[in-house]
Amino acid sequence: MLNLIVCIKQVPMVSELNWDPRTGTLKRDLAEGMMNPACHHALEAALRLKDLHGGHITAITMGPPMAEEVLREALAIGADRCILLTDRRMAGADTFMTSFILARAIEKECPDFNIVLCGCHTSDSETAQVGPQLAEELKIPGAAYVEWLELKENVLRMKRLSDNFLETLEMDLPGLVTVTTSQYQPRYVPLAGIQDAYDKYDITTLDADDLKLKITGIKDSPTRILKVYSPDSKKKNIEMKGPAKIIVEELLEKFGRKIGGEIQKDLKAYGQDQ
Amino acid sequence: MNFNPCTKHKTVRKTVRKFVETELGPIAHEIDQKARFPWEVVEKMRPLNFFGLQVPREYGGAEMDSISYAIVIEEISRVCAAMGLCITVHNSVGTNPIAQFGTKEQKEKFLPKLASGECIGAFCLTEANAGTDAGGVETTAIEDGDHYVINGTKIFVTNGGICGSALIFTITDSENQRNSNSVLIVEKNTPGFSVGEIEDLCGMRANPVSSLFFEDCRVPKTNLLGRKGDGLKIGLSTLDSGRIGIAAQALGIAQAAFDDALKYSKERQQFKKPLSTFQTIQNYLADMATEIDAARLLLYRACVFKDTGKSFGAEAAMAKLYCSTIASRVTGLAVQIHGGYGYSKEYDVERYFRDAKVTEIYEGTSEVQRMVIARSLLTKPA
Repeated sequence: MLNLIVCIKQVPMVSELNWDPRTGTLKRDLAEGMMNPACHHALEAALRLKDLHGGHITAITMGPPMAEEVLREALAIGADRCILLTDRRMAGADTFMTSFILARAIEKECPDFNIVLCGCHTSDSETAQVGPQLAEELKIPGAAYVEWLELKENVLRMKRLSDNFLETLEMDLPGLVTVTTSQYQPRYVPLAGIQDAYDKYDITTLDADDLKLKITGIKDSPTRILKVYSPDSKKKNIEMKGPAKIIVEELLEKFGRKIGGEIQKDLKAYGQDQ
Repeated sequence: MNFNPCTKHKTVRKTVRKFVETELGPIAHEIDQKARFPWEVVEKMRPLNFFGLQVPREYGGAEMDSISYAIVIEEISRVCAAMGLCITVHNSVGTNPIAQFGTKEQKEKFLPKLASGECIGAFCLTEANAGTDAGGVETTAIEDGDHYVINGTKIFVTNGGICGSALIFTITDSENQRNSNSVLIVEKNTPGFSVGEIEDLCGMRANPVSSLFFEDCRVPKTNLLGRKGDGLKIGLSTLDSGRIGIAAQALGIAQAAFDDALKYSKERQQFKKPLSTFQTIQNYLADMATEIDAARLLLYRACVFKDTGKSFGAEAAMAKLYCSTIASRVTGLAVQIHGGYGYSKEYDVERYFRDAKVTEIYEGTSEVQRMVIARSLLTKPA
């Protein structure tokens, strides 16, 4: 049976993030949480593999107890089992520690996995490091920024966009992929699934002791965040006055290049049509 | 007492909001203007259990608790009240009575089709001379061998133009009219059953509300819901649940109007200041928010009473009365805050304003809710 693992992360829903200026870490408890979009696409990729080949999906997350919410969502949409890694000692872990802890949990709870799927990056920290580091930790091949997956026998065929090339890769399993948000549009969650997710499933909750880890998230993380800040906005408003036809022409003349690309082409084509 | 929503209810709200904002949001204005029923969205709602919200699992439903149910209706109505109406009427009065009062055979025959949305349900009580007075129904169902023969006309039937089956409130004994109400399940293709013109209404325009005609329409006796003469009992019980749905719908409309008014008040400048800086507008916003919150608490209380097996008729009536009253008030204030633009079809508050009014009228008028509440007060032992 195809054994799939999807690593998901709960991220703050608001685009405006709050952080602790002293430690440089995000204040996650203030924001409403959601499943990181790329993780959601990775889950969808796993669901499509399961639709085609059958199998079992384990969703795993590391975070505060409230991260259970995204695991329930994963169950609602079709995951079969969920693992929550939560421990105050894991708090403040950087990507290196996170992938280390995830790897130990996967080895302990689902050693017979075939494919690990991660989102290519998270919307709150954007490092894109956990997936590749997790492949290293698990000592399996990994491919990042994958757009399409196809499974044949024990070989995973993938497409990924690299610069301006579309690469087709093949990987022996077990292996790890990080999935982009360009394909695998997540399906809607059925309402019966939500009821089941809360009424019928238990979530496996593990702490550092369960994984026999003697760690402290912040102390054992080699990365130090020096500063988190909002870049100053240099935008200013320009008011254009006059008849529409004239100011549109003026707008295009002054800013057409900035608008750029397709929009400018469309506008030109539109101009020729008239 | 815990006022925090549990994570399940948060997930239900988030999930439904995402769906309706994506699928209904972009077309809500257009389907209101064209009075068009959005079949393309129905198609997407079917596999997501929107048509079997409280139907038991064995018949393909989601078997949700009542707060989840209210949240679903509230969130659909926040974006498109006409679709909220279709879903709540289909579920609460078009489908649930079969789950509650139907025989095993009736459940097996009708519930899977209703829960999957293959067949949209309707409930027909109102007639030219009956509505608020349920005892005044004149549509007859006369026994003839193994059949009932139905004759009469039902008006203002929500989902009338699209229903695949309808529950018909009839009298089965014309001699003793007041005590002989019975409910029959009629399928659309039954000879003698026809659909009238779609009504041209003030609000809820995307819902095909119509008359239904019955001319010597023969339905098998196996389609009788409950026993002969159970009609009033089924009708009253159904309406108690139905009121939770309409209260949720009214609440959704009020929330939408408030959200728009709050946003607009911060953007619109007069006297070189945003409207929201004026105390009069702040008072409006404070009143709107307070009323919406109070309405939501009343509604959720009725839901909890229902799910814990308590009698909830008066609580549902209070929730329906209050939610619909504040929906009219809040949408009126939202139009007021928008000024001239609020009176224009360009802005959604104009639609909310039209949609809100009927929540004070259907599923029991506000006057009937007060009757129900007063009756429960006066019959309580001192």
